[in-house]
This record gives sequence, structure tokens and C-alpha cells, in this order.
Amino acid sequence: MIEVSSQVLKNEFRISYEDVTTEGKRLSAVSDMSTGQTVAAAPELGDLFPPAKKRSAVWGFCVRHPTIVIGGGLLVLMLLIAIFAPYLGTVDPTALAPAKRTREPSAIYWFGTDMLGRDIYSRVLYGTRVSLVVGFSVAFLASVIGLALGLVAGFLRWADGFLMRIMDGLMSIPPILLAIALMALTRGSVGNVITAITIAEVPRVSRLVRGVVLSLREQPYIDGAVAAGTRVPMIILKHILPNTLAPLSVQATYICASAMITEAILSFLGVGTPPIIPSWGNIMAEGRALWQVKFYIVLFPAIFLSLTVLAINLLGDGLRDALDPRMAKKI
Amino acid sequence: MGGYVGRRILSTIPVMAVVALFVFSLLYIAPGDPAAIIAGDQATPADIERIRASLGLDRPFLVQFGEWAWRILHGDLGTSIFTNLPVLDLIKQRIEPTVSLMLVTLVLAITIAVPLGVVAAWKAGSIIDRLVMLFAVFGFSVPVFVISYLLAYVFALQLDWLPVQGYTPISQGFWPWLQNLILPSIALGAVYIALIARMTRATMLEVLAQDYIKTARAKGIGQGGILFVHALKNAAVPIVTVIGLGIAVLIGGAVVTESVFVIPGLGRLTVDSILRRDYPVIQGLVLLFSFAYVIVNLGIDLLYTLIDPRIRY
Amino acid sequence: MAKWVRRSKVRGEAMDRRTLLKGLGGAGIVGAVGTTRLTAPALAQGANARTLRFVPQANLANFDPIWGTQYVVRNAAALVWDTLYGVDDKLMPQRQMVEQEEVTEDGLVWTFKLRQGLKFHDGEPVRAKDVVSSLVRWSARDPMGLMLRASQNELTAVDDRTFKWSLKKPYPKMLLALAKNNAPCSFIMPERIAKTDPFKQITEYVGSGPMRFAKDEWVPGAKAVFTKFADYVPRDEPALWLAGGKRMLVDRIEWIVMPDAATASAALQNGEVDWWETPIPDLVPLLKQNKNILVDIADPLGNIGSFRMNTLFPPFNSVRIRRAILMAMNQEDYMRSIVGSDDNLWKPIPGYFTPGTPLYNEEGGEILKGKRDIEGAKRLLAEGGYKGEPVTCIVAQDQSITKAMGDVTADLLKQLGMNVDFVATDWGTTGTRRAMKNPPGQGGWSMFHTWHAGADCINPAAYTAIRANGDNAWFGWPNSPEVEADITTWFDAKTLDEEKAAMRKLNKDALDYVVYAPTGFFLAYQAWRKNVTGVVKGPLPFAWGVSKTA
Repeated sequence: MIEVSSQVLKNEFRISYEDVTTEGKRLSAVSDMSTGQTVAAAPELGDLFPPAKKRSAVWGFCVRHPTIVIGGGLLVLMLLIAIFAPYLGTVDPTALAPAKRTREPSAIYWFGTDMLGRDIYSRVLYGTRVSLVVGFSVAFLASVIGLALGLVAGFLRWADGFLMRIMDGLMSIPPILLAIALMALTRGSVGNVITAITIAEVPRVSRLVRGVVLSLREQPYIDGAVAAGTRVPMIILKHILPNTLAPLSVQATYICASAMITEAILSFLGVGTPPIIPSWGNIMAEGRALWQVKFYIVLFPAIFLSLTVLAINLLGDGLRDALDPRMAKKI
Repeated sequence: MGGYVGRRILSTIPVMAVVALFVFSLLYIAPGDPAAIIAGDQATPADIERIRASLGLDRPFLVQFGEWAWRILHGDLGTSIFTNLPVLDLIKQRIEPTVSLMLVTLVLAITIAVPLGVVAAWKAGSIIDRLVMLFAVFGFSVPVFVISYLLAYVFALQLDWLPVQGYTPISQGFWPWLQNLILPSIALGAVYIALIARMTRATMLEVLAQDYIKTARAKGIGQGGILFVHALKNAAVPIVTVIGLGIAVLIGGAVVTESVFVIPGLGRLTVDSILRRDYPVIQGLVLLFSFAYVIVNLGIDLLYTLIDPRIRY
Repeated sequence: MAKWVRRSKVRGEAMDRRTLLKGLGGAGIVGAVGTTRLTAPALAQGANARTLRFVPQANLANFDPIWGTQYVVRNAAALVWDTLYGVDDKLMPQRQMVEQEEVTEDGLVWTFKLRQGLKFHDGEPVRAKDVVSSLVRWSARDPMGLMLRASQNELTAVDDRTFKWSLKKPYPKMLLALAKNNAPCSFIMPERIAKTDPFKQITEYVGSGPMRFAKDEWVPGAKAVFTKFADYVPRDEPALWLAGGKRMLVDRIEWIVMPDAATASAALQNGEVDWWETPIPDLVPLLKQNKNILVDIADPLGNIGSFRMNTLFPPFNSVRIRRAILMAMNQEDYMRSIVGSDDNLWKPIPGYFTPGTPLYNEEGGEILKGKRDIEGAKRLLAEGGYKGEPVTCIVAQDQSITKAMGDVTADLLKQLGMNVDFVATDWGTTGTRRAMKNPPGQGGWSMFHTWHAGADCINPAAYTAIRANGDNAWFGWPNSPEVEADITTWFDAKTLDEEKAAMRKLNKDALDYVVYAPTGFFLAYQAWRKNVTGVVKGPLPFAWGVSKTA
């Protein structure tokens, strides 16, 4: 509310609140932007605090938002690993060598070999691709589809009841079970995993968007825009969308993290990505029986997965704190 | 209020109907065939056809759905294709372990997470706060089966404090029952604790910034009183919401935990049934979960009125 | 008190295992004195020694051994139901429920007389009419039973203890049919239960075997419980596989289903279970190190891995292409992927029959021996007319054996430059899909993986997978008149030498045609705690003669 009002004030009355420096002294002043004249000024006070030290903008950003930096940094690292996997000292991740199975980590096999003699280091690095693709795709698709559905539900009352019943229905099925059921319908492949997890995540996004739409729809400025003749698509574009983007992008990061873990669980249960495509989930699934004797098979993908999910969660937290601390309640 | 409850219950019917139709259609178009699995390795295609016919799987979709819906409304959840036992019996056998696991996880999570979140909010910005939040984020990030194996290795195998697997019904004693549930609850609860702690912290931060907290402090009320009596009560609504939403997460995570710790619960039954295409069991279970979720949400909405007298229906 | 000796006899080796006092009192005393657990009271200790906790190879989801032929169902059924005959460790049929039998000179009429004192779990005596109904139900589902049905005149009960089976054609393998351990075994049920349609499940689990099935304690997917049947009268001879006296030395057997191998291993190490049917090979060294656990080969007859190729459609409708696969495939890779690094657990198998059995031979197996010839295989592929058609390869991920083999196959096909369409799915879907005769691209398949118990592959009697009678053959539908003729020759053979000759020709013809691709012969371990004695090697986990101290 306050945000909108100040926006309104800024736009309609063209007043700015700023710190004005007059003759080296800091004042709080209100000036009329059209004339540039200072309209009112408060008397100068002595410095209660020493002046703030000048810091570079970047460092300031880092200090204020450490989570974004750490999270973003780790994520970028993973992206680089995914893109440059073939050049990072890897071999063919699907090359079998049963005679060299379950070797411990050594100079030749940095992360050891698995039960079929495949190099785990290569599999984990190539697995980064799959896990990132799954995470990002699900986040993107669920957001886009959820956005569309939420907008429709928010604006078209007749569609609202119908759509939300379906979403409620889908939401009442635990998402992992829904994903397992969908995967059991088809064969294991990355595309199918993405589809299954997306379907399980869309209801929550659509509810979120619908909620935002519903609360914004009642605003007087929307009525004003409609009265001014703005068409619905324009209203959506200029007024609704900007307000949904913030919570949506934060939600998207959580969906990304959750999708990666769901993919791991699907592989753990045997209904995830097929084994010829290495993913962290199925490397762990294959090694799980041997964790007591050859724990390194599960350890390395677990570390990579945990770090990536951690990074994304930190990023999401940081984004949320940066964009609007009040959003914490909505999510 | 009674009217509200009545209306809510009525509105669950279309939701459940959607779920029922969705699940039924899903499995109907699925390529797997329970008849082939039942027939086993040595069966000929003719045998498989006979088994399909005897199971009624060769009739049209609407007929099968209609029959099934009719029976459900009469309390008959059908018979499992594989085990020939009534679905209701299968559910009854396995509901105690799952409910026990959920309950212990819930109690554990709330007792750990809420105080953690309160402390983090109280000491906002300090090392404790950052540590708690980091710990919470770790809870989200490490997959539940990794945590399960780690816990089992350290506490069961190496230290031998707790059993590795299994479930003991409460009828055989409280401590044996609890013993089997401690490790699975911690593993399952990690995500839940993280969620609740974060939500608690966020809401408490908001509440602690309110004026009436300052008034209470000015009145001389001690820190404990402020935190737990005044602040927490006002923060309760979103926290309870998260607890309710998290139940769906719990059920999902329970599938893995039940597999690793060999708990004969509903989660494992669901996965096994899905993989075997045991349609009647899957349908019965999904209906059960949806129903439980809907009831839990209703319960939580009603709980709001107790916590926050301003909320009325 | 009776003192008796159990012997474990495997291929002529006789070992005196232990001498035990029979009776509850003896075990109770041992139990109370030998307490090691601090938490369990002495009374529970005694009870503990009478309960055997077993981790089976798979879930016992249903319990009708005629209707469902999974190995795990047969294993459990052997506790609850008895058979007329049973094979011993040489796979020779021995009398079990039958006291004596007679067959006429022309081999057409068999008359059997039941032992005295056989009782069902509900208290009723076992009568010939129960046997007749059971055999009728069994013969509707069993391959050898179907052969008997086809040539039978009548199967009737003569009096309460005698029944007669008269045939139109002699069937020399009658006793083997009734004694065999391959599913479905001829378990005898009460008439009212046996009258259930063979394509529907029974709902009552009453038999005359040494254990009762505790239906009210059964949690399918988690637990199955068997309790001792006090009125069981075992034969006098010592127990040898399915023959001899099945004496139960424990009061209660609990089957605890553990899908997670790591958990099962931990539970065995912790003493929370007593006997694990199928420890995975990689965990065996860990179990062997544990001083409370013993590990040994489970079944000397082992298993034969296989993948089957669809002969109805390209590319595998060409014999040369199938031979090319045999030329290129490396059985060592397949076997190592299943059994790991232990060389004692596998053998290459240039043929289709179980090593270590009298009828085993390697005739025609040169293509599977020696150094692998990828280049030669590629040439043969081209000669056979391979045009790059996709090979739809179905691999079940939830069975560790097929999963491992599937990965090796994908690699093999890649090396040969074939176009692989890898379908990762589950065992259930594999079961459906392999039955479809559509073209591979349209819901059908080109190859799928499976394995057979060595006990089923000793001779063509129960070996459905070796048949090559086209449409009626097993999935893949191989069609070879020569192979079929060889099988008939074996069935008609009257002496061991004739059988051997028939089998040699069969092996060669089957390999020339490539009925399926054998990936190797492998053995599996079983593991049990030191306080459990009497565990023997065999095609099923025999619980008679097994006892436990505290």
C-alpha cells in the first residue's frame, strides 16, 4: 500500500524527498521538481554521527546482500562447470569398464569409479548439466504456466472457480507422489522428468499469482486505468505484472531448488532420468546400496547437489530480502 | 461458524471429485498393465488376456469409473489386484506407522524449529541468527536420503544407540515405539524444521517491530514473556499456515524415509502400488491423502479462530 | 528326547552339522543362559530363539503359487503347502506325500497311494479328492502339467488315500513333473480351495505343509509370518532339498521385506534380522568381515543371465545380425556388472544349459568363446543387412540384475555402431511391453533383459525360454523347427545317453539360430548370523532344519 502511494505521490505530485547538500551542510528538503525550487527546508543540525565512509558500490552491495553474492557465485560456478565439462579433465561419462569397477578415488580417478567402472568425476561434472537443466526448466516453465493460469483465474471470475478447484485438487496430492505417478506413466527421460515436476509445481505458482492479482485488482488505480480506457492486456502488462515479478522470481528460485531435489528422489526410487544420462540423482541412486563400503559414490554427487541447492536457496533469500522484506509473509 | 464449516466441507466435494477423476484417468491411460505382472514370466498373451478379463480391466473407461465412484460412496475402496485384500484393510494395516512417523516428526520439528526461529528473530543480525538461518538452509539443501543414511550409519551402526530399521507398534511399549521413530523423524523433519524456523523468524521479526511490543517492554515484562506470550501468539497465524502446508511435503518425504528405514507405512505402499500399477490401491490412497490434506487445512483454518480472535468466519 | 543329525549334502560332500536336543525345554534353557542383549528380558530371549527373521529376495505381494509364479511366492509356498514328490539335491524325484506308486507296463496308468496321517492346517485329513482337485488346477498352468492334460484319459480318486491318473500316451517324466522345484510346483490344497479358477487368486491359505500362514499378520510389501504346524508328520529320511523329512526347529518365521540393500545389510550386522536371502555381491566382503555373520553360495545351480531379441521385426529378424551380437558381446562384462569383482561368482557359458549338471554341454559355443571380434561383428551386421534401424532396448531399472546388464548392452550396441533407443522403465512395464507384438517403434520392442534360475535351465522340461515354436514361444517368438525337433527328441529319450545326445544337438541348433543371448552364468550369496544353523545351499531357502540360538 505504502509503496503504491509513494509511487502515486511521486508520479502525480512530482515531489521528491531527497537529501540536499547546501553549502556543505546536509539538509532535508522538499523541492518542487517542475521549478527546481526548494519549497521548504529543515534547519541544519549538527552531525550526530560521523559521515558515512565511502565504499565502492560493489563492496557495499556485497556486504548488504551476502546471500545473493555467495549464492549467485556458487551458481555461476556450477554453470561454468556444466558448460565447460568436456574441457575439465573428464572422459566419456558413459564409458563402461567393468573390470575397473568400484575403485577408490586416486590420481587417475579423481572421484573413483562406480559399479560399472565409469569415472565418477566425469559423471558428476556432466551430471551438473542435467540437474541444472531440470532445475531451471522446471522453474521457468512452472513460473510461466503458473503466471498465465493465475492471471486468467484472477481476472476471469467464471474461470476462477473452475481453475482453482483443479489446482486445489492437484495440490492436495503430495507433489512427490504426483511426480512418481506421472513418471510411471511414461519412460524415464529428462523431458518427462521436467514435465512431471512442472505439473506438480504449477498449482502453487498459480495460487500465488492469483493472490497477487486479486489483491491488486481492487486498487483504485486499476479502476482508474480501466476508466481511462486501458485495455486489459495493457493493465496486466503495466500494473499487474511488475508486482507479480518480485514474488514470482523468489518463488522460482525455491522451485528450482526443490525440482533438483525432487529429481534426485525420483532417481532414488528408480523413476527418474535414465542411467545413460548421468544426473546427480541417479549417480546417488546407483551408489546407495554401497554407501557403507564405497561411500564416495554417493558423497560427491551429494556434495554437488547440496551446494547447488544451497546456492539457489541463498540466492532466493537474498533476492527476497533485497526486493521487499515484507514479501516474507506472502511466501 | 457452523455454517462456515458446513460450506467448507461441501466445497471439498468438487475438489475430491477432481482428484478422483484425475487419478483414475491417469492410470487408465498408463502403459503398464497389472495383468501382465500378475501373470508372471511364463504366461502367454492369452493368459494375460484372461487375467485382464477376470479383473474387469477390459471394460470402457466410464463404466469402470462409474462403478468405482459408486462403490467409494458406499465405503468400499475396492480390492487390491495384487494381494486380493480389500484396499481398506491394506490402508488400515499401514496407517499407524505413517501417522506415528508424521506425529513424531511434527512434534520434533515444532519443538526444535519454533524456539530456533524465535531466538534467531530475537538476536536478529547476530551470529546466532546467521547460524540458525544457515542451518535452516542446509536442511533444505541436503537430500533426505543422504541425511537418512548418515544418521543410520552414525547412530545405529557405529554408536548402536538406536535400531537401524523397522517399526514397533505402540502396543508393544512406548519406548520401543519411539526408538524406531527417532532417526526417521529427524531425517524427515530436516526440511520441515528449516521451513518452520524461517517462517517463525520472519514473522517474529515483523511482530517484534510493532509498537505494542515496545509498550510491553516499557511495562517491564520480561524477555521470555514478551517473546513467547505476546509476540509468538501474534506470529502464530503464518507459522501455523506453514505447518499445514508442510504436511504435504512430509508425506512426500515419508516415501523415501519409509524406504530407507523399512517402515511399513502408506508412503511405501503408494510407491509400490504405483510401480506395480495396482490401480485400486493407488486410487484409494490418493483419495485418502487428498482427504487428509483437505481436513488438515480446514482444521488449520479453524485453529486460526482460536489463535487470533480477530479472525472470524 | 530324540537326538538327530542333520547333514548338508552338496554334490557328494557330507558334513555333520550339529547335534541338537529336540524340544522347547532345551532351547529355552540355552536361551535363558546365553543372553547377550541387555535390553531384552530372559523370557523374551527364549521367544527370540524360536523366531527366525528372514529377508526375502522380493516382496510377497500375493500368495497363490499356482496363479502367480514368481520365485518368492514359490519359496513361501514351500513352507505352507506340501507336494506329492520332491526333488533331492541331485534333482531326482523322491516321494513326499506319496507312500508308494505304481505304473502299468505300457506306462499309461499311474496309481498313487498317500501316506498315513497327512493333515491340513484346518484339521481335516488330506484326501485323494483334495489331491485330484489340486492337480487339476496345477495342470492348467504348468507346462508339464499341460502336457499331461493333453494326453490324459482321466484323473480320479479311487478311495480316500489312493488316486489314479490314466493317460493316452506314456509320460516317463511324470514323477519329475510332480517333484520339480520350478514354479508352479504341484502343491496340494484342500478341495474347496483348489476348485478356484486357476486364473483367479485363492483367498484362503490352508495347506498341509510344516508351517501355517498367519494371514492376519500379513502386511503385503512389509511382512509375512509363518507359525509352526504342530500336527505335521515329517518323513523319516533326512531332509534333502524338497525331499525327506521337513522338520521345523523354530516356532515362527517372519519374512521382513527390505527393498533397500544398504538397510538390510545394516540390519543383519546389527542383529535385527537373522538371514538375508540375496545380499548384493559388493556388500559381501563387509558381511564376511563381521565375526557374527556367515556367507556362502545360496544356490549351486546359479542363474543364467539373458537378453532376448525380437525375431519378428528388423533388425533382429535376421539370424546373421543376431549372430553378430553373439560375436561381439563379452560375457565377462555382463557378469562383472552383476557380481562385481569376485571371480568365484561367475562362469562364461557357451550355451543355454546350467553348468555343473549332467546334461550341460558346450556344443556350438565357439562364437561365445575367445577374444571378442568387434570388427568381424560389424561386418556380419552389414552382411545381415543392418540399415541403421533403431534398437528399442527395454531395461528395468528396479531390478539390479537387469539394470546392470542394460548398461552393458547399451555400451555394446554403441561399439557396434548400432542405433540405440534405450527405454529405462520398471519390471512391471517390461512385463507388459515384452508381450506386445507391435513393431518396435510403435509400442513394441527389439530387446529386453531378464535372467533364469539355473534350476529352470537344466533340461527342456521346465525351460520355456528355450522353446522356438514361433507364436507360442516365449517373448521374442523364435521360430526354429530344428530346435523344436531336438526338444521333442529329448522328451522321447529313454536313456541318459540318448538325452545327452539330444541336448548336444539342441545346444548347437539353438546357438546357430540364437534363440536368445545368454549373458553368462552367475551365482549369488546368502548371508546369515552365526547363531543360526542348518542353512543349506539350494534352489530355494529351505527353512526346515534351521534353528537359532539366542
